[in-house]
Amino acid sequence: MSHVPDRYRKDDDNSTSDGTATLPAEAVVKVSGLTVAAPDGRVVLQDAELALHPGRVVALTGPSGSGKTTLLRALTGLLPPGTRRTAGRVEVLGHDVFALPERELRALRRERLAYVGQDPGSGLNPRMRVHSLLRELADDRTPKAIRTLLAEVRLPDDGALAARRPAALSGGQQRRVALARALARRPKVLLLDEPTAGLHPELRDEIGELLRHLAAEHRLAVALSCHDPGLVERIADEVVELGRYGGVAHTGTSIGGTAATRTTGEPPERQTPAAAIEAVLDIRDLRVTFGRRSDAPALNGVALAVAPGSATGIVGASGSGKTTLVRAVVGLQPVTAGTISLDGVPLSTGLRGRSREQRRRVQLVTQNPLGALNPSRTVGATVGRPMRLHRRCGAGDVAARVVELLEQVGLPPEFADRYPHELSGGQRQRVAIARALAADPDVLICDEVTSALDSASAEAIMDLLVRLREERGTALVLISHDLPLIADRTDTVTVLDGGRTVESGPTATVFTAPGHSATRALLRTPAGTA
Amino acid sequence: MTPRTRATLIRVLPALLLMCLAVAGPWLAPHAIDAPVTAPYGEPGADAALGGDQLGRDVLTRLLAGGRDLVLSSLLVAGLVTGSAAVLGATGALRPRVGRLVERVADVLMLLPSVLGILLVALSWPDGGRLAVITAAVLLGVPYAVRLAAGAAAPVAASGYVEAAAAGGERLWHLVLREVLPNLRATLLALFGLRFVAAVYLVATAGFLQVGPQPPAADWALMIRENSSGILLNPWAVVAPSIAIGLLALSVNLAAAALAPQTGRKAVTVL
Repeated sequence: MSHVPDRYRKDDDNSTSDGTATLPAEAVVKVSGLTVAAPDGRVVLQDAELALHPGRVVALTGPSGSGKTTLLRALTGLLPPGTRRTAGRVEVLGHDVFALPERELRALRRERLAYVGQDPGSGLNPRMRVHSLLRELADDRTPKAIRTLLAEVRLPDDGALAARRPAALSGGQQRRVALARALARRPKVLLLDEPTAGLHPELRDEIGELLRHLAAEHRLAVALSCHDPGLVERIADEVVELGRYGGVAHTGTSIGGTAATRTTGEPPERQTPAAAIEAVLDIRDLRVTFGRRSDAPALNGVALAVAPGSATGIVGASGSGKTTLVRAVVGLQPVTAGTISLDGVPLSTGLRGRSREQRRRVQLVTQNPLGALNPSRTVGATVGRPMRLHRRCGAGDVAARVVELLEQVGLPPEFADRYPHELSGGQRQRVAIARALAADPDVLICDEVTSALDSASAEAIMDLLVRLREERGTALVLISHDLPLIADRTDTVTVLDGGRTVESGPTATVFTAPGHSATRALLRTPAGTA
Repeated sequence: MTPRTRATLIRVLPALLLMCLAVAGPWLAPHAIDAPVTAPYGEPGADAALGGDQLGRDVLTRLLAGGRDLVLSSLLVAGLVTGSAAVLGATGALRPRVGRLVERVADVLMLLPSVLGILLVALSWPDGGRLAVITAAVLLGVPYAVRLAAGAAAPVAASGYVEAAAAGGERLWHLVLREVLPNLRATLLALFGLRFVAAVYLVATAGFLQVGPQPPAADWALMIRENSSGILLNPWAVVAPSIAIGLLALSVNLAAAALAPQTGRKAVTVL
């Protein structure tokens, strides 16, 4: 087990002296019988009970759509738009947040309560640099304090990162900047919605350790929603499980930090399809630079070959260029050099040079489910559009096919009439997958699609993808930090590090005998099983 | 009918009523618009509810008859300006090269003062009448509106769903009309309200300058100008058309705000 050094700045006053640590602490947050309803009367959350104590980590789990985000947001007194509280009480640090005047509620949120949302990147002002983002909230505005904060969330302390704007950070880095912002005021209560989604296991564990450490050292009350049962078991003192209809199904106490390690799993015995088959998608020497910084390309000489009907994994630490690579493949990211060919036909590197058919054949499901759906169109319209556009089925059959697709991704048919703002993050992710499937692609690229889903739904989605691959011969490209998933479901894997392909080959070979230090670093199993 | 639809309807109603009144006004007028019924600047009486104007014509008649052209041409101008600005702005946001061209042209056109522009168009096209005024108002309004529309469209054009649609093979017109513009409804409705007020102002200015409607035609702007000298004798001859123009601008903006989408389906989500 690696030792995590204490890099969190000590409080100036002596509130964290050891004397207080042993006292039985009063709950700082109490939620009793909270029921929240959507405008159409649908119950989003029913009779939720929750208590947060200083120094303890509480994890909210449950299937997607069970009201985890709603419950966390209720603690800030800010329910999702349109929904309202029909019963119950939320007390934070002795104040009833729904009875508190606006002014005091703002003060409470500013000083005592920190909330990090599911898509924290969108909460960062794109025009501000990282150091200003942190400085605007911090009590202590010296450059040294800012560096300490960045180190706290394990961001490199080289000065270059602090001068970047959010658009130049990877998803994982944005998440950590948002967390650093939340910690900048040293709040009493820390609320995190899916804090580790989309992070690679090592980082996930570090953040987990960090949260435990913050809770213990600074008497922070931490509540987080999480899909990763392994992580929950490791870091949570208490688990609140929300049921299907938003009720509290089960509250249990986890052992907390003692047991449960996850191994990368034995790579299954699987014969990889012969590499001799001509690749449906072939990428050679891809080079991408952002802006004028041609000295530091985001991708440099990346190669990738995807055989028809195969499953290819792309792994790498956050910021290694995985997302940039797939965006370039679908034509959303301008390319500096290199070729991308589909069935041997070179594709134009921009979107506009590609025919509609070429665009149909390669579909991407993006990492961030919140921005991926048009807020003014219903789910049915969104999913039905590719079928109409590409004439995948007769006009009369579209509605039936939409329902079929929704059922395949695990959503009930009545979701066709809902708007994206009425869906949870996981449900939106499924809609995005259904939309990609509606185009009937030959290559389906999934960028961290399961990171926002609970493990049962993630499993179901992966099974669906694998089935599609078997039935239709759709080639899959999976980007994931979830190495067991990659090990289980892919034939070949490509490892990226700092914008370069450092290793690629059959998954079993790469994972059992990693040839490059970056691969070995990724494979290092979480928390002490290495 | 849900309470929200009813609330929206109530806020849209004043604008609808006023417009219906302005459009139907000429048929409701009690007298002919050019027949004197009282003394010049005669006080309100049994014959003329709002008194007489400079030639003794009925103010109420002229008020009822004088709104139709102003309302219709202002609506037309506001609609054309908002519509073309929205399409140009969204296209510019999706195609940066087009966007730069549109913005530079708008910069140049904005240098032209609106009154000068109207005079130029109306004088170089003397038979144009209303049509000349409308053309001038549209040409002068679009440059302002397009900057705003392009600014609002830029974040939407960079969003995940527009990228997904573009990568999915959608053509430009679909991206503009179905993906970007529906998410700008709130901004575009506010813009429509603003451009409507600006159009009333421009059309009224044109009337005031005697470009466009000529006496003895009834027109609110023309009435204000004609009767301003007798404002102390019969204030109604000036105040009534002024109130009508003010109410029109207010009610249209109220309606535009009411029609804007509620939270949730807005393009930008909180938190």
